[in-house]
Amino acid sequence: MKRFLLLILISFTVSTAFAHDFISPIGGRAAAMGGSSVASRGLWAMQNNPAGMANIEKFSFGLYYENRWFLPETAYKSGAITLPTKFGCLGLSFNQFGSSKYSENKFGLAYAKNFGPYFQMGLQLDYLLISQGETYGRQSAITFELGIQSQVTEKLRLGTYIFNPVSFRLQQSLNQEKLPIVFRFGAAYQFTKDFVGQCEIEKNTEREGISLRGGLEFEALKHLYLRAGVQSNPGILTFGLGYAFSFVSIDAAAQLHQELGSSIQIGMIFSIGK
Amino acid sequence: MKRLIFTILILVSCLFAKAQIAIDTLSTDALNELLIEQIERLAEDSDEDTDFEDLLENYIFYSENPVNLNSDEVMQLVELRLLNVFQFEELQKYRRYYGDFLFLEELEMVEGFDALTISIIAPIVYIGQDRGKEKITFDKLARYGKHQILGRYEQILERQAGYDDISDSALLAKPNSRFLGSPQRYQLKYTYNYRNKIRAGFVLEKDPGEMFFTDKVSDTIQKLLGKNYQRGFDYVGFHLYVKDLGIVKAAALGDYQLAFGQGLTMWSGMSFGKAGTGSSVMKQGRGISPKTSANETMFMRGAAATLGKGPFRGTVFYSNRLVDANISVADSLDDVELVSSLQETGYHRTIGELQDRHAIRQQVVGGHLSYAIAHFEVGYTLHHTWLNVPLQIRPTNYNHFYFQGKQLTNQGIDFKYVKGKFAFFGEGAMSINPDTLSLQGTSALSRFAGLVGMTIKPAGYLNFTLLYRDYGKAYQNLYSNAFSEGSRNQGQRGIYLGAEVAPAPYWNLLLYADQFQFTWLTSQVNAPSWGHDYYMRLSHSFNRRTNAYLQIRSKTKMKNSTDAFVFSHYPVFYTKNSVRFNINYQIGRDFHFSNKAEYAHYRNDDGSNSHGFFICQDVAYKPENKPFSLTFRYAIFDTDDYDSRVYAYESDVLYSFSVPALYGKGMRVYLLGKWKPFNNLTLYARIGSTIYNDRDEISSGLTLIKCNHKTDLKVEAIWKL
Repeated sequence: MKRFLLLILISFTVSTAFAHDFISPIGGRAAAMGGSSVASRGLWAMQNNPAGMANIEKFSFGLYYENRWFLPETAYKSGAITLPTKFGCLGLSFNQFGSSKYSENKFGLAYAKNFGPYFQMGLQLDYLLISQGETYGRQSAITFELGIQSQVTEKLRLGTYIFNPVSFRLQQSLNQEKLPIVFRFGAAYQFTKDFVGQCEIEKNTEREGISLRGGLEFEALKHLYLRAGVQSNPGILTFGLGYAFSFVSIDAAAQLHQELGSSIQIGMIFSIGK
Repeated sequence: MKRLIFTILILVSCLFAKAQIAIDTLSTDALNELLIEQIERLAEDSDEDTDFEDLLENYIFYSENPVNLNSDEVMQLVELRLLNVFQFEELQKYRRYYGDFLFLEELEMVEGFDALTISIIAPIVYIGQDRGKEKITFDKLARYGKHQILGRYEQILERQAGYDDISDSALLAKPNSRFLGSPQRYQLKYTYNYRNKIRAGFVLEKDPGEMFFTDKVSDTIQKLLGKNYQRGFDYVGFHLYVKDLGIVKAAALGDYQLAFGQGLTMWSGMSFGKAGTGSSVMKQGRGISPKTSANETMFMRGAAATLGKGPFRGTVFYSNRLVDANISVADSLDDVELVSSLQETGYHRTIGELQDRHAIRQQVVGGHLSYAIAHFEVGYTLHHTWLNVPLQIRPTNYNHFYFQGKQLTNQGIDFKYVKGKFAFFGEGAMSINPDTLSLQGTSALSRFAGLVGMTIKPAGYLNFTLLYRDYGKAYQNLYSNAFSEGSRNQGQRGIYLGAEVAPAPYWNLLLYADQFQFTWLTSQVNAPSWGHDYYMRLSHSFNRRTNAYLQIRSKTKMKNSTDAFVFSHYPVFYTKNSVRFNINYQIGRDFHFSNKAEYAHYRNDDGSNSHGFFICQDVAYKPENKPFSLTFRYAIFDTDDYDSRVYAYESDVLYSFSVPALYGKGMRVYLLGKWKPFNNLTLYARIGSTIYNDRDEISSGLTLIKCNHKTDLKVEAIWKL
């Protein structure tokens, strides 16, 4: 019963704050840094800002799991593969939010390229599928996401990311429901060799207001990272740890939402090759 | 000796070689940034869509026709407010000590010239010899004169309701329900310039909805319009202007602008009003200048001349212009004509607007006399206006003291004193209206207006400005454009305190606080009211290709309560706060990027509370050594209502400006292309579109569009000879 009430509560909160979750920042590092990720690099950039995967040099793949408020019904699973080529970096991604009763799925094909040492651009084509159980059927849509990153000074990197820039709609839905446009832009600043700060601003056209995110990362010991961050609308505090082994890095995070409680995120990235 | 100085200068300029690169690469961007900041602020403060063309034409003119750093033309930079008076004094001092400038880099050595100032003025100055007195011959005029022809086409591509088909009888029944003309705007402009000394030209314009050569209306409507039936170019203007020819300091024939002192007595064109910050709050009357834009209001048409000898300058001017007005016949027996209001839109699209076209004759005659010695300047302005039909506005409470009648005289005294670290300036003015109808119950004092201000510069990186203004509630002037909150220099009192600080290298801070009080009712405010305006802008240059700023503004004023449950609509406070972050950066030499995010919050004491948000990405591709460039913007906006709207400056074709007010939910995109196929021909094309998510109809009335997008197209060609 308690769980049922909680679910109702969540569905109210979630319906405004989390409707269509194809576009939340993912990855253990981003989750620990308040979700700020538009100017970061790495495998999960495929979802957060595809420009950030242009510099990946090894074949790599990753798995990510997020257990929101410890409810299996609101779990978020993600997987991604990158393949660096001579012409840029290619990627494949899969994200799923929800359970068999209601799920949001995103299949992505990404491509990112370096234009000189200071500028990267990335693109991901998406197939979105919302499955609402047997009664309500499925809805789908095709769209794309675009991003750029620029190293404007040695320490400062800027990023801009737009999901669904031309405002595609969901097919087969009752009133051709709109997909949100999501616009993020932000910065990553390397204060010292072992200390990074990130911040970003996000506008989602289907949500009220804007979201601000910020995070800090400190390399406490070699390859051991401590992270913390904050996000507004919804207000969340985040903390996390990361450790990079030679071929695998593991990042874990915890997010605290005042009304809904805590969530746990964990991500692993495997890199293969020299 | 001169050779020695020359050698030293070369050595010094080698030391500053780094700065030289900076000057090369910054190009016109710094100037643009400065103008964008002020134009956006001006747009926020203006009530409706204002045409800024007139205000900005001078900047473009001088960036196309640079001024000689070694001549008196430099004064233009002060008049354009690109240099402050202190910098001007230092510049003059430098020239007196070291002689003429040989390199632009020498500016680094002039006190008070920081990197920002230099990058702003660098593109519009050149180093040349002072020609002194030169004889102008027809041969020279023909050989060195520059000609320019500009043609522009502009149109909103979606069909607006005012262009729908209608039968004659239906139109006669509701005469203002359609535009008579076609939806295009055309402009044709020719200008001639000889070394900034002799300028001439003409401008022709047809606004959207006005009848062009090909548009036709039926005979009944022609008959109804009578002599106001007008086809072809609706606006025709020409100007001839000479500057610095012997004792003739300036002279104009045709369309021109006047600006004296602080603008309280005579400033016929637009002004930046409050939008200037810090030391540029002190205005510099430019005297006579040519009016080259197609702006249809706010200018003089006639003749004017300034003569000068020694410390004296004398100006006389006369203007005789037909202006638009709404004429009503007050008494059918006597057939007395009265003007109920002056129309200032410049549009003549409907039957009603055409009937008001050029309805009355407005004449102005006057003069300005000034005396200037070393650091001090004083001037006196006197002018008299008369209308051929008396103006009798529809009485409401707030316009009780507005100008009415047939005649108006204004006079004023302005002064300024600039020495060392101190500038002191002001102007006092009064109005004399022989028709006392609108002045009943006022004291003589309320017909006076005055402002006084000072700027102190304790150190190079710091200056403070203080300005006090008190404009009487019955001070009537049709050409007053001094420092004020709102555009009306009447019934207002206020104190402004501003500062410009450079707390560290590459950091700049602008601050101001303005408290004002309206001593009489104003439009939509049923009582005397007050308010304040606070502003802060912190900017930083990360390197010479990357700069960012954070701007916070909070403005509180009063407006009638719209609460349906109260009987008397007393004024309540409303506040608009906005925070904006902007960053410009460059990747490589060819790509320029810019991001802007703005959050606006509006609340009033009625309980209304709304939020607005804007975010954008700009990408400009400007390859060096290639004859073309492309600029693109993608923006999304989301505001709860019109009150929380956001203004965003957009790049446009040369000599045109757009600062659209965005409200509702949607996105805004535009693409601007520039192409120079030949050395003397430049083509521009721009397409911009606003796509709304929250509505299926845009605008209302005659400009109603029955879809969710509005697209504007502009094409421009500039041909130089």
